[in-house]
Amino acid sequence: MPSSRILPEFELLLPESVAEAVKLLKKYKDKATVMAGGTDVIVSGTQGFATPYVISLAKVSELDYVKFSKSGGLRIGALATLQNVADTKEVKANYPALYKSAAINGTPQTRNMGTVVGNVMRASPSGDCACALLALDAKIVFQGPRGKREVAIDDFFIDYKKTDRKDDELAVEIKVPAPKKGVVSAFNRITRTTLDLSKVNAAVCLTVEKGVCKSVRIAMGAVAPKTIRLFESENLLKGQKISPSILEAISASIGGQLSPIDDVRSTAEYRRDVSAVLVRRTIEEAIA
Amino acid sequence: MSKHPITLTINDQEYSIYVDGHHTLLQVMRDQLNLTEVKYGCGRGECGACSVFVDDQKESTGRKVVDACLALAATLDGKKITTSRGLGKDGQLNEVQQAFVEESGIQCGFCTPGMVVKSTALLEKNPKATEDEIRFGLEGNICRCTGYVKIVDSVKKAQKVMSKKRK
Ligand SMILES: Cc1cc2nc3c(=O)[nH]c(=O)nc-3n(C[C@H](O)[C@H](O)[C@H](O)COP(=O)(O)OP(=O)(O)OC[C@H]3O[C@@H](n4cnc5c(N)ncnc54)[C@H](O)[C@@H]3O)c2cc1C
Ligand code: FES
Ligand code: FES
Repeated sequence: MPSSRILPEFELLLPESVAEAVKLLKKYKDKATVMAGGTDVIVSGTQGFATPYVISLAKVSELDYVKFSKSGGLRIGALATLQNVADTKEVKANYPALYKSAAINGTPQTRNMGTVVGNVMRASPSGDCACALLALDAKIVFQGPRGKREVAIDDFFIDYKKTDRKDDELAVEIKVPAPKKGVVSAFNRITRTTLDLSKVNAAVCLTVEKGVCKSVRIAMGAVAPKTIRLFESENLLKGQKISPSILEAISASIGGQLSPIDDVRSTAEYRRDVSAVLVRRTIEEAIA
Repeated sequence: MSKHPITLTINDQEYSIYVDGHHTLLQVMRDQLNLTEVKYGCGRGECGACSVFVDDQKESTGRKVVDACLALAATLDGKKITTSRGLGKDGQLNEVQQAFVEESGIQCGFCTPGMVVKSTALLEKNPKATEDEIRFGLEGNICRCTGYVKIVDSVKKAQKVMSKKRK
């Protein structure tokens, strides 16, 4: 009796540099799965999903970094774990939405293993860092056989688990814009237990000047086939003084922008109702 | 499928072995090395029965806990691993293990090897953890017997003993 879940057989490849990893991707394309922390790749494996090749990034140590500068912003390498990001002081201070989405993600073990880049690449509609990074207007940097390419996160999520990544591209880092004066952010989610995936999550990032909202991005997850922006609510808020009545109007605008489903974690009806409250609370938390 | 030659140092003993690329650390430890103190509960990161420490020379933060069921053994070549068996020194239990015995944090014992590794990690990272922080920190480790009260009591007891020793 084997004493573990059995993974389907695959050939494990362990490149030691980005260049080597890209070469392997060029050769195997969609026959290969990239693995960073493996917390999704291995779980999918136990459910029988696997490609003939798995390219582990474990030895590509050049991707193991979290860097911050006041003018350049934040750069998260593809091997930086959720815990590395949560432990970075500048993340907590400048990007509270991202901090929280990493700090409450999964369990201490999966935070030590799973990566922030993997959370976005996985493109699950409930991904917590994915939601926070959509609100924070992040950019994804890919390296492929044709060179480097930068994609705005707005253009990355296409449909259910469908993304703009080409099958020979490696995501090398995620960049978050430098913090500007008056920019605030927050993230919240609703789960059954903390280690469960989100029933719904929401992140906001606003620029506030003298109580007036100059710019705003509102992102939500697990309420549509992909992580989405709530443009209608953003337009209601932009240029307005943030007041109880405007927050009321925003709450009322939310339900119509969602296309939630019934599943094991929740019902569509609950998701719609709770989203209206969650977004308002998240805005209130960001500006508090 | 090709075999990967790797060296793991588990509880200070070196093992140079060949592993399959698709074999997890849990599988290799239990089936190949007969280190059965690492338990197989869920096999997918939810129960923590397979928790072990992995040392990372690069990490300034020291050792970290991972789920052995989610890690491919071949990706850990050259790493130091500590299980519940390796927590204490010279055949002694460490403070956490001793507290689990004294406070009845163990009933059937299935979750215990993972719980003591995880609790040791928690107190190493945050020696002054509050009860809320202990409860949050123990997430990802499931116990079907104790109802967690005794486990939290055990961690608090260990915390007291450790802080006295530091003084
Ligand atoms: C018990 C448990 C609890 C969890 N809880 C949460 C939670 O609360 N919130 C949440 O959002 N998620 C959760 N997850 C999911 C998962 O842990 C996270 O999404 C994690 O951030 C994934 O990172 P990883 O490095 O482990 O990804 P991997 O498993 O390595 O990869 C995930 C996907 O991204 C692709 N990929 C990874 N890196 C790259 C790269 N550099 N270039 C191209 N493609 C890449 C892989 O091919 C794969 O499709 C949980 C998982 C488990 C097992
Ligand atoms: S067996 Fe590894 S977490 Fe359950
Ligand atoms: S003591 Fe039995 S599962 Fe915890």
